[in-house]
Formats: sequence, C-alpha cells, structure tokens
Amino acid sequence: MVAINDTLDVRREPPRWRSFSKAFWDATREKRLVLQYDPKSDRYQHFPRACGIATGSAALEWREVSGKGEVFSYTIARRARPPFAGHEPFFIVLVTLDQGVNVMANTVNCSLEEMKIGLRVKPYWAPLSNGTHLLMFQPDR
Amino acid sequence: MSMHDAAIIGYAETKIVEKSERDVWGLQAEILDSLLQRTGYEKGEIDGMVMSSSMTGAGNPFWSQATADQLSLELYFCQSIDIGGCSPAAAVVRASLAIDAGLCTTVLCLFADTQASDSGRERPRSIVPEWQQPYGYLGPPAAFGLLSKRYEHQFGLDYTALGKLAVAQRGHAVLNDLACEKLRKPITVEDYLNSRMIADPIRLLDSVMTCDGANGLLVTSKKSAERRGLTRCAVPVGYGECTNYRASESVVDVTETGHLPAGERAFAQAGLNQKDIASFHPYDDFIIAIMMQLEMLGFCKQGQGCDFIKAHDFAHTGDLPLNTGGGQISGGQIGLASGGTNLVEAVRQLFGDGGRRQVGNTANALVTGIGGIPYGRNWMSSAVMILTTDA
Repeated sequence: MVAINDTLDVRREPPRWRSFSKAFWDATREKRLVLQYDPKSDRYQHFPRACGIATGSAALEWREVSGKGEVFSYTIARRARPPFAGHEPFFIVLVTLDQGVNVMANTVNCSLEEMKIGLRVKPYWAPLSNGTHLLMFQPDR
Repeated sequence: MSMHDAAIIGYAETKIVEKSERDVWGLQAEILDSLLQRTGYEKGEIDGMVMSSSMTGAGNPFWSQATADQLSLELYFCQSIDIGGCSPAAAVVRASLAIDAGLCTTVLCLFADTQASDSGRERPRSIVPEWQQPYGYLGPPAAFGLLSKRYEHQFGLDYTALGKLAVAQRGHAVLNDLACEKLRKPITVEDYLNSRMIADPIRLLDSVMTCDGANGLLVTSKKSAERRGLTRCAVPVGYGECTNYRASESVVDVTETGHLPAGERAFAQAGLNQKDIASFHPYDDFIIAIMMQLEMLGFCKQGQGCDFIKAHDFAHTGDLPLNTGGGQISGGQIGLASGGTNLVEAVRQLFGDGGRRQVGNTANALVTGIGGIPYGRNWMSSAVMILTTDA
C-alpha cells in the first residue's frame, strides 16, 4: 500500500492576499477559521470573493466556524511542481464544511485506507513563515 | 436566426508539434495564406478578425490588435475571445453576428498558440496562487482527479469504457498526418489502464500533451459565398454557451455541467435531436470530459455514460464518429487555441476532406468547447455548436 505524505515538510511561500481576503489570513494567525457570510442570502461562501455569490451584495460579514466537515472528493497527487516535487504522493481534498461551502486543502494523519468520500474531518493548521497558518484537514476520529 | 445566414467557407490547420521552432505569428501567417489559397479570397477582402486568446500572447493586452498589425489586415471588427477552449466556437458565432449586423463581411477566425515553446511572460491573474497553489495543485489533472472521484462516488466508473474512447481517438490520430507524431501510435485499452497515474484516478492516457500549432476558418455571409460560387460550406445552425453554471451556489453536483443548458439551446435552435448527429467533435482535455458531455448533451442520462460508450462505436466508420482527427488527447493540445482543433476537424469532415478517416454521414457535426478550471467544480465555460452543410 502506498504511503501518503502529509506535506508538512514542504516549504510553502505564504500566499499574497487581496483587499477582500485579508481578514481570512489575519484570523489564521490565531488558528481561527473565518468564512465570508452574506446576510442578504443567509449563506456562507469560500473562497473569499468581492461580493456575495447569490446576491451580488458587497456588504459581507466574516463569521468564525469550527472548520469541521466531510470529504466531498479527493485525488492523490502523484506528480507536482516545486516546492511539492519529491513530496508525492499526497492528498488534495475538497471538504464540504458544515456551513455548506467546499474548501480545497491537503491532509495530515490520514492514510489511503482511511480516506473516503464522506470522511469526517477537522482543521489542522500548518504554520507559514509570516505568522499566518495554512488550513489543512485531518480525520475527526 | 441570423447565425444561419453565415457560412464557414474555408479551413486551415498547421501540423501539431511538440515544440514549434516557428514564431506564433509565423504560424498565423501560414493559416492566413492557406485560407486565401483555398477560398480564392484576397487579403484585402478580409475586414474582420476574431481570435482565440493564447498563452504565448497572454503577456500582450493588445493581442488581436498586434496580430492584425503583423498580418497587415485593415479591419472593421477585431477582437480576441478569452473563454478558453470555448473561444474558437464562440469566435464563429461572434463573426456571424458581426456579419449579420453589417459591421463587416468576411471574418478571419484565427486560433494559434505556441504554449509549449513560448508560454508567455507571467502567470495570469487568478485565484490559484492564493487558494490552490499552497496545496500542490497541479491544475487541470488535479481538478479532473477530484471531479472523477466524485463522479465515481455518485455513479461508479468503468475505466474500460473510458479506455475505449481513448483507443478510438488514438486510432484517428494514426490516420491524421497533422496530429503530433509522438502520439501517432495505436494503443489498447490495456495500455490505457496501465498508463501511470497523474492524479488518481486520472492517468497519463486520460490527459493532453501541451503542443504548438495553429488553425483557422474563414467566415462570410451565405449570400456572398453563393455569389462566389463556393459550394462547400458549413453553417452554424445551433449554438449554446454557458459560463459559470450555477455560479450562485456554493456546493453543486459537479457531474452536471454548463453543457446541459448550452446543449438544450443548440439543439433547439438547430431543430435537431441527438439521434440526428452525424459526427461528434467534443472538446477533450480529459477522457472523462467526453463521457460527461455525452450525458449533458442528452445522448444518455446523467450517470449512464459508461453504458452508452460500451453500446456504441466511435470509429470514423462507427455509428457515432468521435473526434475523427484524434482530438486533443491523441492529436496534441495547442494551448488556448486547442478548441479549434476539434472545430476545424468537424468542418473538414463536412467538406468531405477527411481522406482515410472520412465519415459517411456529412449532414451535420456537433462541436463543443470547454474553458477554464474553477475552484472545486468542473469547468468555467461550456459551448455547443451544431454545423450543417445545408441550412
């Protein structure tokens, strides 16, 4: 059976945020997950956008959520570009958070045997060099 | 329907190569020259140009203008279309509408890219660096890995059925002298199944190889084609286009795509149904995309694509000829111009120029486009065009 890498050794550059996504990255300094929330439609959304996806409203709020959810789909990356090259194979997952949004991430502490669509997961925060953290997921056992 | 009044009167295509030693403008000039020779038109008669965008040209925000300057075309309608692999079919429609509106009379539809040898200057502005690159996301293969796993979860996936499509297209590339030479070797379903995994369950033989090349079409009004005595033409009788299907929802059924509404529109406009389709030229960035388009275009129900594939013959001699030039997966993907490969092959077949791979029924052809990979869905743009020889 193939051993799946958790990619924590990958030296990732902290991503550059946009004016409307800065609040997301700021919250990750304290390992808090915040999602954009549109009061007009009573819906969450991710990735952060400049307007509400259902309403077009620019009056969006940020709400803290648990980050718990379940695997919507996954793939095993067998080939990657630097800085991930040499760290294959690793999972790329889409997780449906309990608030009804899909989030793309890597996983830690999850074997090929355990991975399945529907697997319950919770956040794992990987530190980045600028003090922010990268959202990843681990099985919620 | 004004689109019916336009006609594609000529096509041209370069050899698809792994890496071009020629500049992208050189390839475009070859297409222009070839179209003029084949149609008898003179350069000065071309008064419109619609291009697909290209990776090579991506660093130039004046791409269509700069190309028109290189080709010394005086134009009254000039634009480039940036909806990825939908751009070539979309270009034919924009050309037809511009002609119908009286803005121009004769339009060069030009699709060229040398992404393999000259990928342009910078990565385009997108959400990828912030939300996907930190996870080692390789782009389209990872996206289609996620999509395929989800499809398999909902409906099951018979990989031998997908392999059958790969084998059929490869057989056509072997018969196509313009297909990338590296890919012109027959394969079997076993070869497909045994090809190495890129992003499970996406295999090497599910995927395209980035290549260089160019193709193009000349579009004018049917009336002016008749005046010139041009008897061979392809007419866009149905078209549908959808960008960001179900954009207002956060979590969608990713196995349902914009080809559903785009296909309904195209078939309704054309007054045809699925059983009437003589040959099928779907955009093929990954094998599973062909199957999902069969479902969304109504050839079979959603989730029953594998059964449909097993029940039909996709060879040029079969009951539903598929990408008779090999498509992009077996012919080579010429960057952002690659939608033109499927489109030009459909026109070639309607003109009866298919040679060793000529289909028997040239009453019509169905061409599609796929453009752009969104965050955790299927694709951004879907296009469907039905061409006939007589309308």
